[in-house]
Amino acid sequence: MSEIELKNLTIDFGGFKAVDDVSLTVKNGEFVVYLGPSGCGKTTTLRCIAGLVKATSGEVLFDGKRVNDLTASERNIAMVFQFVSLYPHLKIRENIVFPLKARGVPRAEIARKLDWVTEVFKLGDDLDRYPAALPPGARQKVALARAVIRDPAVLLLDEPLSAIDEQFREEMRWELGHLQRQLGVTTIYVTHDQREAMSLADRIVLMNNSRIVQVSEPDRIFFDPVDVFAGQFIGSPSMNLIDLVPVDGGLRLGDSGVTLTAAQHDLPAWALGSRRPLKLGVRPLNVHLVDDAAQGVPLEIDDVFSVGRERFFSFRIGEAVHQGVDKRASRTGAATRVRFDPSGLLFFDAATGRRVTGEIAA
Amino acid sequence: MGTSKSSALDQAGRWLLLALLIVYTIYNVGPIFWLLLSSFKSRMDLFSMPPKLFFTPDLSGYQSVFGVGAAKDSASAVGVFDSLVNSIIVSFSGTALAVFFGTLAGYVCSRFNFIGKGDFMFFVLSTRMLPPVAVLVFYHLMFARLGLADTRFGLILVSIFANVGLATWIMKGFFDGVPREVEQIAIVNGYTRMYAFIKLVLPMVKGGIAATAGFCFIFAWNEFAFASILTTTQAKTLPVKISAASGATGIEWTQICAAGVVLIIPVLIFFYLIRKHLLMGMTFGVLGRR
Amino acid sequence: MSAQSHAQRQAKLRQQSSGRLMIFGFLSPTLAILLFMVAYPIFSLVYYSFFNFSALRQGAMKPIGLRNYEFLLTDELLWERFIFTGKFVFICVVLQMLIGIFVGYQLQKNFRGRDLVFTVLMMPMMLSPVVVGFLWRYMLNSEWGIVNFLLSSIGLSKIDWLGQANAALWAAAAADTWMWTPFIVLLATAAFRGIPETIYEAAEVDGASPAYRFFRITLPMSAPVLFIALILRLIDSFKQYDLFVALTGGGPGSSTETVSFAVAKTAFSYFYTGEASALAVILLVIIIGLSMILVRHLQKMGEKF
Repeated sequence: MSEIELKNLTIDFGGFKAVDDVSLTVKNGEFVVYLGPSGCGKTTTLRCIAGLVKATSGEVLFDGKRVNDLTASERNIAMVFQFVSLYPHLKIRENIVFPLKARGVPRAEIARKLDWVTEVFKLGDDLDRYPAALPPGARQKVALARAVIRDPAVLLLDEPLSAIDEQFREEMRWELGHLQRQLGVTTIYVTHDQREAMSLADRIVLMNNSRIVQVSEPDRIFFDPVDVFAGQFIGSPSMNLIDLVPVDGGLRLGDSGVTLTAAQHDLPAWALGSRRPLKLGVRPLNVHLVDDAAQGVPLEIDDVFSVGRERFFSFRIGEAVHQGVDKRASRTGAATRVRFDPSGLLFFDAATGRRVTGEIAA
Repeated sequence: MGTSKSSALDQAGRWLLLALLIVYTIYNVGPIFWLLLSSFKSRMDLFSMPPKLFFTPDLSGYQSVFGVGAAKDSASAVGVFDSLVNSIIVSFSGTALAVFFGTLAGYVCSRFNFIGKGDFMFFVLSTRMLPPVAVLVFYHLMFARLGLADTRFGLILVSIFANVGLATWIMKGFFDGVPREVEQIAIVNGYTRMYAFIKLVLPMVKGGIAATAGFCFIFAWNEFAFASILTTTQAKTLPVKISAASGATGIEWTQICAAGVVLIIPVLIFFYLIRKHLLMGMTFGVLGRR
Repeated sequence: MSAQSHAQRQAKLRQQSSGRLMIFGFLSPTLAILLFMVAYPIFSLVYYSFFNFSALRQGAMKPIGLRNYEFLLTDELLWERFIFTGKFVFICVVLQMLIGIFVGYQLQKNFRGRDLVFTVLMMPMMLSPVVVGFLWRYMLNSEWGIVNFLLSSIGLSKIDWLGQANAALWAAAAADTWMWTPFIVLLATAAFRGIPETIYEAAEVDGASPAYRFFRITLPMSAPVLFIALILRLIDSFKQYDLFVALTGGGPGSSTETVSFAVAKTAFSYFYTGEASALAVILLVIIIGLSMILVRHLQKMGEKF
């Protein structure tokens, strides 16, 4: 187990910066999840920590020691890949002990460790089969067993669950989290699936366009996004984003012609007083229908649909379509009043996209 | 691969590797170079010691292969050039027919199940393994009785036999790569299977047919054992003719080298044209499946 | 029964019979040629092998039972030929596989001019075996050949390549290896390139050294293709004939006569057609048996993956 530190890591692929000045410390035993859209640089970062990709500049440190010039085999890491990378010509048993044999671990030790992982992963029935005979989920389990069998300094997981059936994925995710806590191995996990990230991570590292956007605990990244991207990337269905234009006496809501005022909408005073255009971020869960004519914003419901117990409705402000949740929503087409829950309002600078929580200079 | 620490041992290993590769390259390319060089050497230059790298080129070898100039050999009834013509006729027609028959058989083997299919496939493959001289013992008699000895037609027949098995296997591999839905959709829409085969499937394996033809041609063009025993004068092919190129003054090395160069040119062209399909054909589709 | 299902049944019947027609029509030319050119000759060979018979005097066929076989199997010369063929096959296959795998491994990476390098490397196998034989005979000439010139220019003594039995064996193996190693290189390269990159990455992460990776990952994963290469080279070098005609002519003496060469000599120089038939049958049995075993093994290999 080790502490991993990235210092100003930059990886340049012939003019394209796949990773741009990334710094991060992963504490001993921590479970860190890199989250972001495809192409954001998360996998490249992981492969660089593994030693499969060379850093163009910056440093990778394991327990304070620079490892930039070590090969993957010299770094004492274990990795599970997105697509199955079991050795097809070896039985499951041989696959699992491969890393031990490759390092010349004594036979008795290998047998002991094999017994241990077989027990932990319940692989007893599959040991003498070939990978081709196993379903994808079971194969990833074997890959995981192969990864942890030799107590790596750090466990690197590159979207390990993405090629697995939905049903089995849930189960694997739970087992993975459980296992990591049990082993206490420093783990770095890459995914584009926010649900995986939320449920597994001690800390989430959100990346976009080759840079780190935000590093924080799963809860905080949901409630406290640092910018528009973080706000919109996390949460499903995604956060509504509505332009707020300063006008006399309040803020105009997009192209709707409706003006939000202090009295009606519980907006913070600094926001009402803002001279700069803002963006209002509000999650659908914080958008409801109200009967009280004094409250809410008069808007027309566009469409209504249900997902499980939740009943969503959509409405337009100008051209943009937004969503809210309310049991009473119906497709009457009648004008309704929509209320934004004051506790769920997030404000962003319209120009920079950065989160704004107080007075900003004009 | 990666960022290996470059120790002295690694460095030494890398130099050894490079040295071995260079030695192999010399072994591999040297004789080809020597063949090309020698095909332009006059008799005097051939035997000079030390061997000459620079000399006045002598075209007599090529002249005799193409039957032009002073070297046109009048001594024998069938010249080297006639044997080149024989080679072209035999290998082109043999290849075309072998590919035609092999395409048909390969299609059936890819699409239908029939009794004894496994045995048929192995029988077809085993013809690739047969030692030519073994069957030649009987061909020699059979061809004489049927009046096929020393005829191009006889050699074409042999060429078809020698290649049709290979063609069947390679074409089966290419047909296996075409989804069955192609014919099923056509049949559902009221077309016959034959129509689907000719109009839909065949155009999809054009590349495969070309590759198969390339393979068969290479074997047919270079074939020696059958042609050497089944021809006496009229139907000799170029490989056979040059093996007999020993006159009163010994072996005609220049002529042999020139013929070698001439023989490799069409193969080089074919090789270049089919380079993408080469591997799949040679491994009977084992690579394609992976 | 409704009219529609009747029509469907008719259509199905029609399709079945057209399928049968297609199988028959498409297979028959190939089958006819192979029966006429393979099955018929092989049956005839077996038949003739029981006779004392010469193609020169076709009237006189004397049935002698198994005497041809008896004679052949007790003939020391034939055993020598088998031993020579075996040595030749062994040297060729080992050299070609080793060099081919080595060079193929070095060439698997992408580099500029790869296609050109490959085409040039493949040239030996594009040549006619007879040309290869003559070319090496020309280069190996003990007096004015380039090989001996190069040997003597680096201070080694000249070797009478084609004049001594042992040297001639190595000369033939060198020529065959020269011609066919490129074939192994081609197949090995393709097999190595077929292994997914992540497999190598996984092995590297797992701490496997380059040598360990090669022996535990690369070689076993490309085994089926390499095995095909081995089968083809084994069988082809076993039946090698053309090369020896041009390179050694079987000499010196009869020291470089392969079994194939012996068949040809018995049949077309001595015209002992009956004896040659028996020898051909023996050769066929060995080769067909060998290829059956090897192909079976290959199929088993394929099932694992």
